[in-house]
Amino acid sequence: MTDTAQTWRGALGRAKALEFQEYALAIVVVLLFIAGAILKPDTFPTWDNIRNMLTQSSVVGVLAIGMTFVIATAGIDLSVGSMVAAAGVFGGIMVGTDGTSSLVFILAAILFATFLGTCNATAIAYGRVVPFIATLAMFSIARGLALLLNDKLPVSLLDLNGGSFGDPRPFSLLWFGVGRIFGIPVSVFVFLAIAILGWVVLNRTRYGRYVIAVGGNREAARIAGVPVRRIIFSVYVLSGFLAGISTVLLCARLGSASPVSGNLYELDAIGAVVIGGTSLAGGRASIVGTFLGVLTFALIFSLMTQLNMSTEIQQVTKGLIVLGAVLLQRPEARY
Amino acid sequence: MSRKRLAISVAAALVLALGATACMGDDDDDAAATTTDTAAETTATGGGSGETVKIIASVPPTDHGWLGAISKDAQAAAEKHDDVEFELLQAADADSQAQQIQQAISQKPDVLVVLPQDGAALTPVAQQAERAGIRVVNVDRLFTAPDAATATILGDNYQIGVLAANYIADELKCQGNVVEIQGLAGISVTEDRTKGFTDTIRQKCPDGGLKIVASQPGDFNPDKGLTVMENILQAQSDIDAVYTHDDDMAQGVVQAIRNAGRDDEMFLTGVGGSQDAMQQIKEGGLYRATFLYNPNMAASAVNMARLIGLGEGFAELVPPEVPRQVVVPAAVVTQDNVDEYEQYAFD
Repeated sequence: MTDTAQTWRGALGRAKALEFQEYALAIVVVLLFIAGAILKPDTFPTWDNIRNMLTQSSVVGVLAIGMTFVIATAGIDLSVGSMVAAAGVFGGIMVGTDGTSSLVFILAAILFATFLGTCNATAIAYGRVVPFIATLAMFSIARGLALLLNDKLPVSLLDLNGGSFGDPRPFSLLWFGVGRIFGIPVSVFVFLAIAILGWVVLNRTRYGRYVIAVGGNREAARIAGVPVRRIIFSVYVLSGFLAGISTVLLCARLGSASPVSGNLYELDAIGAVVIGGTSLAGGRASIVGTFLGVLTFALIFSLMTQLNMSTEIQQVTKGLIVLGAVLLQRPEARY
Repeated sequence: MSRKRLAISVAAALVLALGATACMGDDDDDAAATTTDTAAETTATGGGSGETVKIIASVPPTDHGWLGAISKDAQAAAEKHDDVEFELLQAADADSQAQQIQQAISQKPDVLVVLPQDGAALTPVAQQAERAGIRVVNVDRLFTAPDAATATILGDNYQIGVLAANYIADELKCQGNVVEIQGLAGISVTEDRTKGFTDTIRQKCPDGGLKIVASQPGDFNPDKGLTVMENILQAQSDIDAVYTHDDDMAQGVVQAIRNAGRDDEMFLTGVGGSQDAMQQIKEGGLYRATFLYNPNMAASAVNMARLIGLGEGFAELVPPEVPRQVVVPAAVVTQDNVDEYEQYAFD
């Protein structure tokens, strides 16, 4: 990376590859949808099912947006699923048994997840712990906390809606899970808003350029005056914060906070980011790709459940589609 | 340089503190779980002979209501006897459980009570204990060799499938669409609960009027249960009953059905006998029944271990020795008899 001209050519090549990748993944999404429409014409290509798939995408989707920023800096966050569980249970016990305020739950969950993310950030940016190890530790710590906080028991959150299910009030917790605006679930709006914000921040702000620069070549970024440490710190805090939002979306739909929830969500989030074209080596990231990656997983899951395929076949198929999606894409990024 | 070092040490301290709190938490938990009841020999009542029995129990990580209840019930049973010295070990996974049991063997207890994370994986270490003269009582998940345990107590997973099939077939008069939300794929508990169910449906409704339209694993996990059921609700426009393999997971399934506003269309059954499930059965509506798979079998296991240690047996049996295998019957809990079974509910 000493030759400037070469660097530039490389960067241009990367930009082109990224565009192609987004198209390629969009084609995968369309193909999966067509496959669903052919195999299950009555139940798959319906407005109701599209809404269902988007709602299901929202939980992992929000995590994946945060993960895109983390991976763009050549980092990784293995703790998001555990943080979702810990933040949910923490929010649940903050509400207590007679609590009726959704706001308490929402704030407590988001703050707690952000706090856990900040612990990751501190260890990585200032303690110089390798991200894989630091977040692996948090993976274990947060899951342990989730179990510990309420003696391994789930917390029911139905009281936040007066104990009933029907028509949650706007801005109550359950409203974020089942409420709708113009027929579209609130959780989908939240996911889309975060995806769009993520795109703007990553592609149209100086902060976004810094994130990419840090991932591309840390030393060069430092010499160019990028506050490398602060940028690295910030992406893990962001990942924790978004884990908090994701917690709210999940618990709102589930009506409870379970210490075993969020199990292995990090793998789905990382998978979506990677098939979306963000490089695990850092320096290249695509929010559109991540969004399409999340949709790909939701389509696969919905289609295979609708076809009542056995788990073994589901696992094999999912793996093959991930591998296929990556192979179909950029020859240059495979190694 | 010094600032940098300060930052690093602060961060290190933070990580350590975090680690410590986590450990402390664990210790707390273990402390609660491993309270050793050392009984004064003179006050021994049960055995009458004045000797004490040292029992060590080993269970998988209790990240699930049912396993949590197993630990509590075992502990409570041990506390009832003055002549029992009891220690409970909670393992993180199959490997560490094997190590834990090896360590326990070196402490030379009279009896080991083991609920293995994975029966096959822990069979060799159980055999090792038996060869060292320590009696082993196997709970719930079976070892794969007959010489790995002196006695075994387990629930009847196949029977649970049978009871669920009978209940659903009767309620629907062999006509309708059934969805099955299974547990964790690939373990015997799930396979047996499924096999008992499908075998019985086939026998009981040979005309094929009762159809299992979807069968998917929910991994004993409420959020997996939720998303799987959401997808099944999309695919199936007409569902009459849902057979779920677990009460905890069923809460997610219930939520999916309610979110879709289809709770009048179908009913649901669980397995286990949790407080939550019993409450909903009492209230009536979507949750119609659960099939008892009672964690208090852990209490029986400790009692059996004690009798084995004392060299005694059940007076009613001929010969009185503790049986090789005890199968706890499953029971159907519905609105009609929930009051009677509520005392056994676990949270």
